[in-house]
Parts: sequence; structure tokens; C-alpha cells
Amino acid sequence: MSVKTEGSSNYEYVTARVRARRAKLFGDDDYRKLVRMGPGEIARFMEETEYETEMNALGARHSGVDLVEYALNRNLAKHFEDLLRWSEGSLYGYIARYLRKFDAWNIKTVIRGIYTDSDRSDIEDDLIRTGEFSERLLDRLVDASSIEEAIELLDSTIFGGPLEDAYSDFERDGVLVPLENAVDRAFYGHLLDDLPSAEPDSPTALVREFLEAEIDFRNLRNGLRIARSGADIDPAAYFIDGGRLFDPEELRQLASNDEELVARIREGPYGDDLDVALEELEDADSLIQFEHALDAALLEYSGKLSNRYPLSVCPVLSYILAKEREVENIRAVARGREAGLSVEEIEEELVIQ
Amino acid sequence: MFELATVLGSVAPVLQSGAEAGGPALDATGAAALAVGLAALGAGIAERGIGAAAMGAIAENEDLFGRGLILTVLPETLVILALVVVFLTL
Repeated sequence: MSVKTEGSSNYEYVTARVRARRAKLFGDDDYRKLVRMGPGEIARFMEETEYETEMNALGARHSGVDLVEYALNRNLAKHFEDLLRWSEGSLYGYIARYLRKFDAWNIKTVIRGIYTDSDRSDIEDDLIRTGEFSERLLDRLVDASSIEEAIELLDSTIFGGPLEDAYSDFERDGVLVPLENAVDRAFYGHLLDDLPSAEPDSPTALVREFLEAEIDFRNLRNGLRIARSGADIDPAAYFIDGGRLFDPEELRQLASNDEELVARIREGPYGDDLDVALEELEDADSLIQFEHALDAALLEYSGKLSNRYPLSVCPVLSYILAKEREVENIRAVARGREAGLSVEEIEEELVIQ
Repeated sequence: MFELATVLGSVAPVLQSGAEAGGPALDATGAAALAVGLAALGAGIAERGIGAAAMGAIAENEDLFGRGLILTVLPETLVILALVVVFLTL
């Protein structure tokens, strides 16, 4: 199911705005300051930055770290809605396709909310209102009284079919895992839809390259998690098609052997970009360290692509990634301070390019 | 590129009919005018992208207005240079 668009794209306008916004993201210094602040100070600091409007709007209803978190989500949604508002033509299609990530997030939030009998307002606060779903559909989803009803509402979207298939598994086992897997797989499965393997350096080819990298990294992470956790799960069952680094069979063999896996990635197309991450994986025993290194590597790779092809979708996608990282970083700092972690521990959690 | 070829194709017979009548279809002033017109067209195409990007930058940060304006009209120098041709033919 592709996003219907017509007309020509306005890359110049969108990339100029996106680059300006990317330059305004928090830098090293801001994080260094943030890490040393208490939860209250963080909230006050945020009021003086980019997040001012959201902090003020939500300040009456929430406080402390919750306030920071909701303000972050709302700001994220605002910026990504802006991207969709500005862009035209095929550029809109490329961005919308990627922002379905938040549709997936919203569906999961709603399903979890219904499952745990949460209040309507609690679910609503956790939604990130961007992506392909209309406000109305989201409101109706929040109003749904049962998971079955929510799935029915999603019938016309890409998530409808897979969710219906997974519903019987959910009914049998009573756990949310099949439903959430179905949502994720629907998102990644449609990421490369209708994208012809175009000639190199054309806009379509660039989107493809970027999304393939994302899928590869996701596969890599899933494979490693399974390998490290020692669980008896077949990595191939969680394999997402479309990447260019592995096929399912290979991933199954490599997941059981760390060293071979690292060697394989090093030879692959991302070898140079992942150098640091790979070294990290080899010395560190902690999977979290490697995952952060992977995130940083994906961020760097996207930054490189956006410098190489300035008038393309790459700067936009790279901005989306960077913004998401920023939100996650601030959340990590706020939650970490709340839980009383030390400065060093929090700094390890941050992914800074 | 294809459209340009068809345009040229439709212009060619006109030029030829002029040649049959004895004189050139386009005298020196006409050709100079054509040169300015084409230069302006080129400048317009160049300004399309720059203008869009400049508007984007100004929307994010109003201080960039001056710089955006200068960069947007920079291709306009092409037209000014093309005007030299007109003065040469007069």
C-alpha cells in the first residue's frame, strides 16, 4: 500500500528548513550540562529551549519527569508533522512511508493501554500524533473498548491484515507479543513497497539505500539480542526481508557465533561506517554498548549520505533519526537523574554523534 | 531535452523561409534580444531552486533575509551580462 502523491518534489525548500532545524538540536555542551542537572533543573532548562511551548502547554497537567517526557513526545510529533506539511510530490511519499513508524508506535500504545485497562487520558498522553493516521482515527482508536474493536478500526490500513492474523494467537496465549510483532513486521514489510530498484543516485535509489541500511541494522540487532540472550529462538523467524547484508539462513548461522558475525559485517558494505561499533562489540561484553554504537553508526551513516546527496530525501531522514535520538537522550537523562544514576552511568546511555 | 528539440524544429522552418526571401530571418538586434531572453530563462530556472531554499532558511531564521535575498538574485547577473550583447549590437 503506497502513499499516493503527485506533482514534483520541493527538495530545496524542505532540506533548507530541515538543515536549519538540525543545527538547532542539542550539542555536546548541552548534554554535558543536562547530565549534571537534577530533574527540576532539567525541566527548567527545557523551558528555555526549543521545547518551551510544549512545556508550558503541558505544565498545568503534569510535573517533573513526566512533564519532560510528554513535552518531548509532543515536540517530536510537531516537528514531524511539519515535515509532512511542507513536502510535496514523491518526497512526501518517502517521508510518510518512514513516519509510519509512529503509526506502529501508536497502535502498540493503544493495544497496551486497552490490555492494561488504562484511562483514556493516559493512553492519549502517550500517543505521538504524527504519521499517516488521521487525528480522527487516533481518537477512535483511543475510544475503542476492546483490542478486537481497535483492530477492526485498523482494517483499511497496512496493519489491519497482519493484526487480524495475529489476533487468534493473542487469544490463545493471552500475551501481546504476537500482536506487537505483527505491527512491527507490517511496518518494516511495507517500508520498501513499490520502490523499484532504480538507477544509482536517483532519489528512489537513495531512499532505498537508506531504508535497506535501517533494515540491516535492525536485523543485526535482533540477531545479536537472540545470540546474547542465549534464548532458544530461531533468529530467522524474526528476520525482516529487504536488507542487503544478510539472508535468513546466514543470520541463523552467524547469530550463534559472535566472531564470525563481526567478520561478516566488516566485509560488508557498512564495514567502514561501523568500524568503531565493531571494535566496541569485540571488547565490550555488554550488548547495550554495542546497540548504542550501532545507533551512533546509523546516525553517522545517515549524516554521511545527507552530505553526499544534499538535494535528496537523505537530509530529511537523517534529521528524523537525529531528532529521535535527541528525544531519547533527554528522556534517558531525565529518567536517569530521577532514578539517581551517576553522571558516568547516564553518559554511557547517551548516543551522541 | 526532447521538448527543446521540438521547439528548435518548429523554429528552423521560419529561419529558412527568411533565408529564401534573401535576408536573414533574424537580424542582429533580434538575435541579441533572443540572447537576453534565453539568459533570463536560465536565470529564472536557477532562481527557482535558490529561492525555494532561501524561503525555507528565512522561515526558520529571519536574520537570514539579507543573505537569502542576495543569493536568490545572484543568477540575475547572467541577464545583466546578456544585456552587454544588446549594447554591442546597437
